[in-house]
Amino acid sequence: MDGAGEMATKVEHAGAAVREASPSPAHRIVLLGNPNVGKSALFNALTGLRATVSNYPGTTVEVYRGRLGGNGAEVIDSPGTNSLMPMSEDEQVTSDLVRSVRGEEGAVVVQVADAKNLRRALLLTLQLGQLEVPTVLVLNMHDEAEARGIKVDLLGLEAALGVPVRTTVATRGLGVEGVLRALASARAPRNHIPMPVDLASPALALLTGGQAPAGSPPAVLARYHEALLEHASAIARAHASEGGSHRALVSRRLGRVAIHPVWGWPILAAVLWALFEFVGRFGAGTLVDLVEDGLFHGYLNPWAIALFSHLPWAFGRDLFVGEYGLLTMGLSYGLAIVLPIVATFFTAFALLEDSGYLPRLAVMSDRVFRLMGLNGKAVLPMVLGLGCDTMATLTARILPTRKERVMVTLLLALGVPCSAQLGVILAMLAAVPFQAAAVWFVAVFGVMISVGWLAARVLPGERGDFVIELPPMRLPALSNVLSKTVARIEWYLKEALPLFLVGTFVLFLLDRLKLLGAVTRAGEPIVKGVLGLPAEASAAFLIGFLRRDFAATRLFDMSRGGGLTVVQLVVAMVTITLFIPCIANVFMIAKERGWRTAAAMAAFIFPLAFAVGGLVRVFMIAAGFGGAP
Amino acid sequence: MTTLPLAPASPDVTCPLCGFEYVPGGASCREHGCPIALGSCATRHCPRCGYTMPDEEKSAAARFVRRLFRPRPRHAAGTVAELPAGSFGVVERIGGDPALQARLTAQGLAPGVHVHVLQRAPTYVIEVGETSIALERRVAEAIALKRS
Repeated sequence: MDGAGEMATKVEHAGAAVREASPSPAHRIVLLGNPNVGKSALFNALTGLRATVSNYPGTTVEVYRGRLGGNGAEVIDSPGTNSLMPMSEDEQVTSDLVRSVRGEEGAVVVQVADAKNLRRALLLTLQLGQLEVPTVLVLNMHDEAEARGIKVDLLGLEAALGVPVRTTVATRGLGVEGVLRALASARAPRNHIPMPVDLASPALALLTGGQAPAGSPPAVLARYHEALLEHASAIARAHASEGGSHRALVSRRLGRVAIHPVWGWPILAAVLWALFEFVGRFGAGTLVDLVEDGLFHGYLNPWAIALFSHLPWAFGRDLFVGEYGLLTMGLSYGLAIVLPIVATFFTAFALLEDSGYLPRLAVMSDRVFRLMGLNGKAVLPMVLGLGCDTMATLTARILPTRKERVMVTLLLALGVPCSAQLGVILAMLAAVPFQAAAVWFVAVFGVMISVGWLAARVLPGERGDFVIELPPMRLPALSNVLSKTVARIEWYLKEALPLFLVGTFVLFLLDRLKLLGAVTRAGEPIVKGVLGLPAEASAAFLIGFLRRDFAATRLFDMSRGGGLTVVQLVVAMVTITLFIPCIANVFMIAKERGWRTAAAMAAFIFPLAFAVGGLVRVFMIAAGFGGAP
Repeated sequence: MTTLPLAPASPDVTCPLCGFEYVPGGASCREHGCPIALGSCATRHCPRCGYTMPDEEKSAAARFVRRLFRPRPRHAAGTVAELPAGSFGVVERIGGDPALQARLTAQGLAPGVHVHVLQRAPTYVIEVGETSIALERRVAEAIALKRS
């Protein structure tokens, strides 16, 4: 506590370096910075816990917005970037946000820098100077820098850059007041940067134009960064001392061990196990039981049914509270089953994100994804897919090439079970012998690897390079994790809940028009002949076209009644896992990749799912599996 | 009663136990009553506290063992892909296609920058100042280092 107080006074003192001008309150603040410099922590410190997350118009890049406590100015947290020269979609968004501030009265960029890594931050500051954007430079994680013996000459740095420079420890809220006071004196960084003549004007044109160069970027870009870095190094050397050794830090050790060729594996296993326990057991088990059985089946659904029983119109009654009722099926499905799972998953994901483990997961899994013709970067959408494939399909955009995006979209739709489905599958697998469960895993994983391997050879284009920055491991801040989780849940409910209702309505219509029975009979030859399942299972597969976890639940019900043998159970599980996750996912694929791709994927996936299911059946019978579970 | 030699003007050994600085070669084993060797073993004795330590100038074995525990930074030249884990070097050139070059330079990787190769598996990991970057082989091949 005392240490924190001391820190605060020191930080306040440092804040007095540039004289505050007359307060012309900023009404728009864009936070900018390299990845992992504590930008989100400063954002939370500035706005409290009232952030909303939305996609930047026309993109899938998440942008967090909030308001300042005092005058209600809008604060925008841009995606982390290393250069304002846009080279990816994330960077394009950041570049657009920064350029939108140019020439706008009362709009300010607050650049957040890692106080330990001044050189890289200054590359951005110099670009802000070239764009002539009013800037305040914030050296965050000042405490860590001090612990390493790094001393920054703030006055000298302010003079060299021509902008207010403040220090903060954003995770503890220190120095935030100083940043707020400095907003009024924000100005454009000095932009006298020594640069070869042949470089200066094309680079500036690219920077101010703000458009990613079509196709491959000109070689000018690398030389431009080099020139900026050289100037940045000179400034950093002149105004900041070198840090001492930091080898002994626990976080650093942990960061190394997590990607160690030997010790990294047990850690990976422990993380995945914890993820499964929290999301699969606690979320999909305990919480779902509590909310679904307790709240919805116990109180809400009976209430709704009682309420609608006064409605003298049977069609309307069935529409809302019937077997495929919007309330009893659609809403209770979305809120009672999916919400608890998604909430626990988003919490776990935010913890992984904020601890710095996620990029290390990419390092550890690079080999596996290489087998599928991808690289470690694909782990992010794939892990997200275990939460919700539809949402994960969106995040496929973070991959650098079109080929990788198509491949990840395909593999997500094909083989990654979403959390709702995973819960049901795991419950069913618990009812069969271990060897039978292993057959399910080998079949699904084998199909994913072979399809990935084939797609990598068939699809045109190149795989992108695997270059990923490893941030230091940190203890996640609770406020950060919670606000991020809540903002994502809000976004998810807005996007997904309407789709549940639409899906339920389609089912309701099919049922009303007596089409459900007709399609079931039409599917019988395949379901009975190829898969060897009872005829009733074809109804489950039909529902599987809409939501494959609905189907899994149906099959689960059948098996609980003792209606399926071990072989039938595994065959059904494999087939349903390989189905496209849900109708929402199809819409999402169409939106992201176009209807032709979506149709091609569906035409590929459904027959493949049945074919693999049939093969598994043949294999299991030959291998001597059988009998009742 | 033995008389202790005064600390000389340029001592070159510091006793790890008591911190006394002395010129080796004073007291022999026998004078300390060492029961193992009679005068020719490769050890040194602190004249103040009598602490025995290996004489690395005389013993190649002691030198070898010591080196195992104190890995010297290895300064080496070549692409990151060619160098063993633990190597240090200075970036000489960033190769590869322009897009890769632009990305790496934006991450602070430019000629003249010090690089430490941390590991080679499961992927290559290098350290550039305060930044750790994981990269795959074909990127590691594009980063050429020279001796620092």
